[in-house]
Amino acid sequence: MLVEYATVLVFIVLGAVTVALMLGLQRWFAPSAPSAVKLSTYECGEVPYGSSWVQFNIRFYVVALIFIIFDVEVALLYPWAVVFQRLGFLAFIEAFIFIVILLAGLAYLWKEGDLEWVRTLQDTPAKKGAK
Amino acid sequence: METVLFILFGAIAVCGAIMVVTRKHPMASALYLILTLFAVAALFVLRQAHFLAAIQVIIYAGAVVVLFIFVIMLINVPEDRLPVERATTMRVLGVLAAGFFILESAVLARRFWMPIGPVAEVGTVEAVGRALFTDYLLAFEITSVLLLAAVIGAIALAKRKI
Amino acid sequence: MFLGNLASLRYFLPEFAVTATILLLVVLHVVTKSPRSTASGFLSLLGVGAAIFLAGVAPAGAGRSIFEGMVAHDGFAVFFKVLTALATLVVIFMSMDSRDLAGRSQAEYYIFLLSTLLGMFLLSSATDIVMLYLALELVSIPSYLLAGYLKGQERSTEAAMKYVVYGATASGVMIYGFSILFGLTGSTQVAEIGRSLAAGKATLPMLLASVMVAVGFGYKIAAVPFHMWSPDVYEGAPTPATAFFSVGPKAAGFAVLVRFYYTVFAAADPGTGLWRLTSAVDWPFLFAALSALTMTVGNLVAVKQSNVKRLLAYSSIAHAGYMLMGFVLLSSAGIEAILFYLVVYLFMNLGAFYVVVLVSNATRGEEISDFTGLGSRAPFAAVALSIFLFALTGIPPFSGFIGKVYLFAEVIHRGVYWLAVVAALNSVVSLYYYTRIVRAMFFEEPKDASAIPVPAVSGALLVLLVAPTLILGVYWEPVARIAADSVRMLAF
Repeated sequence: MLVEYATVLVFIVLGAVTVALMLGLQRWFAPSAPSAVKLSTYECGEVPYGSSWVQFNIRFYVVALIFIIFDVEVALLYPWAVVFQRLGFLAFIEAFIFIVILLAGLAYLWKEGDLEWVRTLQDTPAKKGAK
Repeated sequence: METVLFILFGAIAVCGAIMVVTRKHPMASALYLILTLFAVAALFVLRQAHFLAAIQVIIYAGAVVVLFIFVIMLINVPEDRLPVERATTMRVLGVLAAGFFILESAVLARRFWMPIGPVAEVGTVEAVGRALFTDYLLAFEITSVLLLAAVIGAIALAKRKI
Repeated sequence: MFLGNLASLRYFLPEFAVTATILLLVVLHVVTKSPRSTASGFLSLLGVGAAIFLAGVAPAGAGRSIFEGMVAHDGFAVFFKVLTALATLVVIFMSMDSRDLAGRSQAEYYIFLLSTLLGMFLLSSATDIVMLYLALELVSIPSYLLAGYLKGQERSTEAAMKYVVYGATASGVMIYGFSILFGLTGSTQVAEIGRSLAAGKATLPMLLASVMVAVGFGYKIAAVPFHMWSPDVYEGAPTPATAFFSVGPKAAGFAVLVRFYYTVFAAADPGTGLWRLTSAVDWPFLFAALSALTMTVGNLVAVKQSNVKRLLAYSSIAHAGYMLMGFVLLSSAGIEAILFYLVVYLFMNLGAFYVVVLVSNATRGEEISDFTGLGSRAPFAAVALSIFLFALTGIPPFSGFIGKVYLFAEVIHRGVYWLAVVAALNSVVSLYYYTRIVRAMFFEEPKDASAIPVPAVSGALLVLLVAPTLILGVYWEPVARIAADSVRMLAF
């Protein structure tokens, strides 16, 4: 069983070696003559302005949170897929109940408008309710 | 071979963890956390806990750290305004307590030394699946209610006004 | 011995009722246009009512270990299911009446409330540590959300934040303890763990694990020194939610504490109703110390409070201390006394919080100064609150007195005199701060003497809470008998 993971190990080692080789070789061979213009951030040829550290919209956070929750759901269904054929129809029902309960959560976040990325203040359900 | 790999990944995990708590910028800490979590996943694989390893990569390294990074980006403290860590009394006490705990664990490990038995096939995806859908079925189904409450809570709290 | 998954379904009806109500609440919220309507409140009432009926009035034959040994269906679990569902029912009434929650979306609040209820059902019946941990999280996570429900109010957000941090730490420590127990015994079944531990002698890991698990449970019942979260959470959360935290999760915490420690570290002697320790972990002493500490700290700090919600928070810490007295005695009578006290405590504590809701609806505040002159502004509410407070003190002829008599009698009968003395001194201290509110209500002049209206429905509910507090003070045998019948736990 462990041998199957040898591929992963080889992959990790190859990846690490490749990165080390590329960074190491260019440092060794390339001439180094830094100047202010060279060290500035490359922004498609434009003169860069402002910091690259911009504040993220809180909606990324909401999306990430929802992603985690549904990620957990998928992770729990992963062993189900493996044993499904052995356990048969009962396992189907079991996973069905699980998914239906979580679908209620999906319906909720749909209703709350968290699936729409482009929205204006007037569109939010809170405002609708206030009218 | 297994021992070598264990030591290798164990060392990576410990070094990564040390880097997580010593980096100045939280973003660097978060990236080192991914390294640590991956190394721990490798340790799980060595103990035949394949499902746990997959979960570790998918959920912890994949989703949880992404959430961390979004929060760091959201709060977005400029580099020059990052809080300066000082050795306060609490921190010194914390380090002392951690040292004490490590010492204690070492003593315990020596006292109750047990040779590692042959690895049982309980952590493979199939074994977990069989347990999850027969003996632990109720726990599995209740998890969905917990996740439902969590998803609704996450959305409700992020709204401007409930 | 364990019932399979399919065969267990018919013993799981109360949980189904609650889950179905949660799903219906989501559906209702999705299809409805007005998130602030009271429809979801009424739907929750129906659902919880159905759950009480299925759990208590028409219970399927108790005494089984169901779902492959995940949960027990026994008298003990049924008792706690009815108790926690009853508390939830009262809290739903309170919430529909509270002005704090009126301008907000309703469905989420009730979804969180009912998810917590489902968690409490499972917590009081879990016999497997995986299930137990999951149930504890199902109680905790919606509770955090309830505490922070008054979004936009700094106090409420602070409450939720503190609750999350303390809760996560406590549950982390607890699951570490569980993992040590699992490592020592190789089983997730509580009874199986008990049998394995009984064979060996006390080891340091075993002691460590039992203490770590105690941290998790101690946090849920808010026992000192794991109580730090509770005053801030109780003060910041919406008042109905505070009332809920002080009764529901606390009762469920006691259920799981009793079930876990008695099945893992002790065995019943069927003849005498006594239990003996099977493993060398001397937890009764540990918890006796916790009990004395909890009631003393709770009462002494309550003396200095000027906010009634905060005062009741500390007093509920003290009450957890009183109830722990019954836990340490290793006798069925001691557990009986806890169960009886929880019933009494449910009515008097929810009642006290209900009056706080009514008063703060009118005065927008919960300081003792907001209660001055309540005797003339809302005489009925003032009298009711006095009854609840005297009952909480444990003065005859109110129900709290009988509850305390049961606890004290058993402590003295088992010869733990020092604990009885500490508890008696504490009751005297509590008299001081409870009467401070009563004095403010009847003997101090209010700044604003306008009458506070008490709607007829609220008055009726108040009567329903006062009645048991009075009746159980003179005629308590039926409840005591139910408590005695419910002590029988499954030990599979």
